[in-house]
Amino acid sequence: MVALVIALALFFDFTNGFHDTANAMATPIATGAIKPKTAVTLAAILNLVGAFLSTEVAKTVSGGIIREGSEGVQITPEIIFAGLMGAILWNMITWLKGLPSSSSHALFGGLIGAAIAGIGFNSINLETLLQKVILPAIFAPLIAGAVAYVCTRLAYALTSRHDPETGSKLTQKRGGFRTGQIFTSSLVALAHGTNDAQKTMGIITLVLIAAGTQTPGSGPQFWVIAACALAIAIGTYAGGWRIIRTMGSGLTEVKPAQGFAAETSTASAILASSHLGFALSTTQVASGSVIGSGMGRRGTTVRWSMVGKIALGWLFTLPAAGIVGALTALLVKTGVVGVLIAAVAGTAAVLFMFFYSRKSVVGHHNAVEVEEAGQAVRFAKKKAMARARTEAKAKAKAEAKARAKANPQAPSTAETPGATQSPPTETPADAEAEAITTKDAQR
Amino acid sequence: MKWLELLTVAGATLAAAVTVVVLYSLGVRLTAIAGDAEQPSPGLKRSLAYACFGLCGLAVLFGLYLIIPYFSR
Repeated sequence: MVALVIALALFFDFTNGFHDTANAMATPIATGAIKPKTAVTLAAILNLVGAFLSTEVAKTVSGGIIREGSEGVQITPEIIFAGLMGAILWNMITWLKGLPSSSSHALFGGLIGAAIAGIGFNSINLETLLQKVILPAIFAPLIAGAVAYVCTRLAYALTSRHDPETGSKLTQKRGGFRTGQIFTSSLVALAHGTNDAQKTMGIITLVLIAAGTQTPGSGPQFWVIAACALAIAIGTYAGGWRIIRTMGSGLTEVKPAQGFAAETSTASAILASSHLGFALSTTQVASGSVIGSGMGRRGTTVRWSMVGKIALGWLFTLPAAGIVGALTALLVKTGVVGVLIAAVAGTAAVLFMFFYSRKSVVGHHNAVEVEEAGQAVRFAKKKAMARARTEAKAKAKAEAKARAKANPQAPSTAETPGATQSPPTETPADAEAEAITTKDAQR
Repeated sequence: MKWLELLTVAGATLAAAVTVVVLYSLGVRLTAIAGDAEQPSPGLKRSLAYACFGLCGLAVLFGLYLIIPYFSR
C-alpha cells in the first residue's frame, strides 16, 4: 500500500508538472519570446531547482479542510490513495480537453470525496473549504484579470508613439517586451516549483510516517525530495501542449507587451498571495491574467466561449475529483481485492486517455502557431485549414473507436468521470476553419 | 473571512505589477526613442532606459528573495 501510494503521488506530481507548464510558459511561447522546446526545458530546470530550494513541507496535506488531529480523524494511506486517484484522473481529463485547471483543487477534491466516503460527512470542515478553495477560486482570476487589464493598458499607452507634427503612428518597437517576458515567466516557473513539489513531498512523508518508517515530525527524506523534484521537472518538460495552446492562443491572441503585462501580473499575484496569507491558485491567476490582458489590448477579442469552458472546468474540479476519490475509497474499503481493482482501473483509464490523446497529437511543433508580422497570410491560412482538416478526420476516427472501446468497460469506477464529459471540445484552431471542415464532412 | 488579507493581496499585486510594467514600458520607449534618427541626445535616453531596466531587474531579484525561503526567514 505504501509503495502504491508513493508511486501514485509521484505520478500526481508528474501530471501537476505538465498541467502547469502552461501557466508560466504559454504566453512567451505564443509571442515567440522563447522557442517552445527551450521554454519547457527552462521551466523544467526552474521547477527542479525550485523543488530543492525549499524543504519546508506543507504541515497538513489537506490544508485543514479535512479535520485532522486528535479530535478529528486520522488520514490514512487508503484515503490519500483514493484522493490521489481522483486528482490524477481529473488532471488527465482536463489535459485531454486542454483546460487549465488547478491541480491542488483536484487534490483537495479527491481527498474530500475520499474522506466523505471513507469516514463520513462530518470529517469535512466546510468553513475552511469555503475560505481556502471556493473564495480564492472566485477572486484569483478577478484580481489577476483586473491587474493585467490595467497593466496592459499602461504598457500600450506608455509605448505608443506618434509623430508630434503629423500625428501619424511611428514604428512602435515593442519587441523589447519579449526579453522581459523571459524573466517574468521564469519567476512564475520557479515559484511553481517551490510550491507544488512541496505538496507531493508532504504526502509521501505523511504516508511514510503513517507506515511507521519515519519518525513523526521529521522533514522529508532526501530521496523523497529528489524524486518529487524529478517527477515535477519531467512532467514540466513533457509539457501539457494542449493546455499551452489554450492559454497561448485559445483565450486571446497574445502580443509581447500584453504577454509581459500578463506574466508580471501573474508573478506579482502569486508572490503577494503566498507571502501575505491568502493563497491563490497559480492556474487560476495565470488564466485570469491572460483574459484580463486580452481585454486590455485594443483590437483583440477574448474568446468568451473558451473562458466559459474553463470556468465550467473549475466548477467541476472539486465534485468530479471528489466522486472518483469517493468511489475509490469505497473500493479500497472492501480490502485487498478492492485496492487491486482500483489500481488496475485507474491505470487503465490513464492509459486509455493517453492513447486517446495520440489520435490528435498536440506537441511543441504545433501547440501555438507563432506568426511574425508581415508573414504571408495566405500561407498560414492554408496551413491552418489543412491541419484542421486532418485533425477533424483523426478526431472522428478516435471518437468512433472510443465509443467502441468505452462500452465493454463502462461499469468500472475509473470511467465515470469520462462518462460525464461532454463530447470533445473543439480546439480553437478548428473553430476558425469549422465552416470548411463541416463542408468537408458533408461531401 | 479574511477580507482584509484579500484586499492586501489585491493591492500588493496591483502595486507591484503596475510598478514593474510602467518601468519596463518606459525602458522600452526610451530605447525606441534613442534609436530614432534625428535625436539630440541618444546617449542620455539610452542610459535612462538602462536605468529603468535595472530597476526592473531589482524587482525580479526581490521576487527571487521572496521565493527562496533561505532569505526570507
